Amino acid sequence: MQNSLLNRHFILRQIARSRRQVIVFILCVALSIVTLISLNGFSMSVYTSMLNDARTLHAADIIIQSNQDLSPAVIKAVARLENKNKIISARVWEFYSVVRNQNGQNSLLTKIKVVQPGYPFYGRVVLKSGRDFDAVLTPGSIVVAPALLERLQLRVGDGLRIGNTALTIADVVVQEPDQPVDFFQLGPRVFIAAEDLNKLGLVTKGSRVGYKCLIKALDKNNIRSITNQLSMAADEDQERVETSQVARSSVKRFFDNLLFDLSLICIFTLLLAGIGIQSTLAAFLKEKEKTIAVMKTVGATSQFITRHYIVILTMLGLSGTILGLFSGLLLQNALEFLFSGLLPKSVKLIISWEAVVEGLCIGILVVGLFSFIPLHRLKDIKPVSIFRKERIRFKMGLPIFLSAFLIFAFFVLLVLRQIKEIKAGLYFVLGVIVLIVVTSLLTALVLFVLKRLKIRSLIIRQALKGLFRPKNATKSIIITLTASLSVIFSIYLIEENLDAAFIQSYPSGAPNLFFLDIQPSQLERFSKTLGMPTEYYPIVRAKILSINGNKVDRKQQRRRRGDNLARTFNLTYRDYLLEDEVIVKGSSLHRSDWGDLQVSVMDTVAKIQSMKIGDRITFKIQGVPLQAKISSIRSRTRESIRPFFYFVFPPGTLQNAPQTIFTALRIEKDRVASLQTKIVETFPNVSAIDVTSTLSFFTNIMKKLSLIIRFFAGFSIVAGILIILSSVLATRFARIQEAVYYKILGARSRFVVKVFTLENMLLGLVSAALALIISQAGSWLICSQVFDIAYRPLVAKCALLIGGTVLLVVAVGLIPSISIMRKKPIVFLREQSQE
Amino acid sequence: MPVVEAKQVTKTYTIGNREIRVLDNVSLSVQEGEFLVVEGSSGSGKTTLLSMLSGLDKPTSGRVFLKDQDITDTSEDDLAPLRNEFIGFVFQSFHLVPSLTALENVMFPAELKHDTEAFDKAAKLLKRVGLQKRIDNFPHQLSGGEMQRVAMCRAVINHPKIIFADEPTGNLDSENGQAVLELLLEFQKERKTTLVLVTHSLEIAKLADRMIILKDGRITAEN
Repeated sequence: MQNSLLNRHFILRQIARSRRQVIVFILCVALSIVTLISLNGFSMSVYTSMLNDARTLHAADIIIQSNQDLSPAVIKAVARLENKNKIISARVWEFYSVVRNQNGQNSLLTKIKVVQPGYPFYGRVVLKSGRDFDAVLTPGSIVVAPALLERLQLRVGDGLRIGNTALTIADVVVQEPDQPVDFFQLGPRVFIAAEDLNKLGLVTKGSRVGYKCLIKALDKNNIRSITNQLSMAADEDQERVETSQVARSSVKRFFDNLLFDLSLICIFTLLLAGIGIQSTLAAFLKEKEKTIAVMKTVGATSQFITRHYIVILTMLGLSGTILGLFSGLLLQNALEFLFSGLLPKSVKLIISWEAVVEGLCIGILVVGLFSFIPLHRLKDIKPVSIFRKERIRFKMGLPIFLSAFLIFAFFVLLVLRQIKEIKAGLYFVLGVIVLIVVTSLLTALVLFVLKRLKIRSLIIRQALKGLFRPKNATKSIIITLTASLSVIFSIYLIEENLDAAFIQSYPSGAPNLFFLDIQPSQLERFSKTLGMPTEYYPIVRAKILSINGNKVDRKQQRRRRGDNLARTFNLTYRDYLLEDEVIVKGSSLHRSDWGDLQVSVMDTVAKIQSMKIGDRITFKIQGVPLQAKISSIRSRTRESIRPFFYFVFPPGTLQNAPQTIFTALRIEKDRVASLQTKIVETFPNVSAIDVTSTLSFFTNIMKKLSLIIRFFAGFSIVAGILIILSSVLATRFARIQEAVYYKILGARSRFVVKVFTLENMLLGLVSAALALIISQAGSWLICSQVFDIAYRPLVAKCALLIGGTVLLVVAVGLIPSISIMRKKPIVFLREQSQE
Repeated sequence: MPVVEAKQVTKTYTIGNREIRVLDNVSLSVQEGEFLVVEGSSGSGKTTLLSMLSGLDKPTSGRVFLKDQDITDTSEDDLAPLRNEFIGFVFQSFHLVPSLTALENVMFPAELKHDTEAFDKAAKLLKRVGLQKRIDNFPHQLSGGEMQRVAMCRAVINHPKIIFADEPTGNLDSENGQAVLELLLEFQKERKTTLVLVTHSLEIAKLADRMIILKDGRITAEN
């Protein structure tokens, strides 16, 4: 044997004799890559489709967009290019507005899109009648989404009152190219011809409108030069000029964020599966200790043995990787259902060979890295151990520390490669390390206490003893289950708390109806029509140009996750704090001793660029720059539906700037619709938003996203389950031995079942309880610090979570133990005497 | 009055296509307080006979009685309390529960029958066999002789009517073997317990009240 390089029979028999452990090992390897492969394949499919379809998704080659009316310079530049026959263009205006039926009895918030002829340059607006969109959308006619007809009980041919005019419904839109998913729209779509825009009276200075100019280059080779020319003409502080290849659509932005979160969960699953690989392999090799000792006794060297086990692991690792690849591709198709409603129809799921190769490499790396320590320890098995009964003590040393370091480095590199953001990646790594360290410490503490508990009940005592059975992977099981459950419980608790805070128990005094875009000239009449006292907030829309003279880097800001300084802000003016505001820096809202123009800043926006008192912010309001010195930094005492403003100027400063007025009020639920209709009837330009229905819309989105995230997080639990299975298999002999001895000494089968059940219950209970402690602490921190909402520990629901976990662990632990418990004492004794 | 009785017990096993008759029409009765040695060479059927008499295994044919009760068809679960109450086992390989300490191993049968004095009884027994300082040790921390003494204490804690000992000195050196045997006989005499001991040592057989010799599954001699 010594002379031959490999002994094929030995390898096959080693695998065959530990079939069950081998299966669990292969499953752990497959699990480590399955989510990553499916997600990477899925995201590549989505992005490839979006990139291939970029023109359709934007309906143009080049897009100019702004939150203010396009500047004369850019309009002139577009006209010049059109005159030279280099491009054709179409303007688009998009905004929310409340529309009414002809008799004014019913109203509905809709998303209006006013388009010039030619729109869309790429893709098609598909109409129910099958007619051509351009031919249908003529002045006086509109095309609406089916939901509008249904909710206002209208039909094609009926009139609809929008703003100051009434238009006729000419057709129903089935699909529009640049809004491929309608999941995120607050109201149904209404298409209006640009010729009717002025008649609407809805687009005035300060209105909340998205302005776009879609451009089709007549010669595709000119796209870059046309983009450059238009960029030169555009006001870079308020207008963005992008080609369809680089422009981020709202759908892409959504997928960027969601896939980012899911990537983190996949890496977390990979890490836990890695622990599973190590634990399963250690159990597999533990079974082989005697064989290895015997082989060494008859002259086999450590290298010879290690070589054989490397071959075994390579075979198993490859099997796991291939299984993971196939499962990943299957799962990728299942994701289509999970994401239903969120995916543009144009997305075609393809097999991404890049993702396949990547998965293969990750699988091999994972097996190699996580197998090193158990393999390295083979050399510590001495021939003499066939005579000794004490356990083999494995040595720590440089190779072990090096292996741990390599695993850590692999993890960090994988995170950075996957999420492509160094800061966020390092935060994630830190978060995972903290989670695993906290989980390990708590597990060690609990096991320390459990080991020393003096329990009177025989069954409980025996169950507890079972946790400390030699070869039991109790610690690994608890750490893995606790870590994965912590993530899943936290997602659940945060979701439930958000739901409870904003939806179920909508604060009784909180406003439930918002009126936006009231013109200053309408204020007096509006107040009279409303007929109730309310607070009015002036809004001036502006962008930030610079802070302390340093220009805001818009490209960099837009890449930020969360809020950024590149967007348009709503400024207001007043000399008092709102009831839920408090000054956290500075002595007063504004300083009476400062002659400079000043502004109070909300802490959340101040944090984006570490703004402090005395810093100078330059805003751009309708093209006019305005510099103000920060007089104070405010914070909100609680997160609520009440209006708030990031920038508050002293009265008088902005009074002459173009502005709209906004108010929020609380009225009885059954009066919302009639008041909304009444106001919109008199003030068609005013948008009314029913906050409760808007919130339930967001709840639906949140629930859908939460389901997707929990689906992926669920895979991390599988790692825990596999470690339980591996542990049961590793301790199979010890468990049979216990069961047989109990029976010989006079215990009934019921006693054995109770002890094993209780042992698994304890395992599940400890894991779930620790996970709950960690997730409660984490969720409380997130709810109180990030969302600023009152935290509910949801005790009853948590009891259900614990119960569910315990049931799962008991089932997983008991099913493979059935054959163990059924083993006849005499059969076991006979086998033992034959050994 | 017999404590345990076997009537025309036959046991066959099928290995592959081969049928092996391990016990062949064996009849035997063991009286209360008797020390019976079952002697025979390896493979003669000694351990199989012991497992039939103790109810650990079922005969292919024939009947087994424990305290006049026919246990041949009694289920495993119904036999459990009988074993706990009336039978003590001592095995060659000790068969101590690895996850329990010496004290817990001894206490276990008493605790199963809810004996509130299990702790005291176990501690007393272990002290008597000289293991008072080893009560918190796990089996893997004990020597062979110590493990067998723990196993003996466990066998007698419930004052069984009968002790089945399967080669109890087989894995021990002569000194430890002698000590264990002496203790076993001490317990047997003191408590008037029936002792059925399987061995192939003629030295031990000489100490017995009665000896049967098994060969190829049959009782070939009795004296």
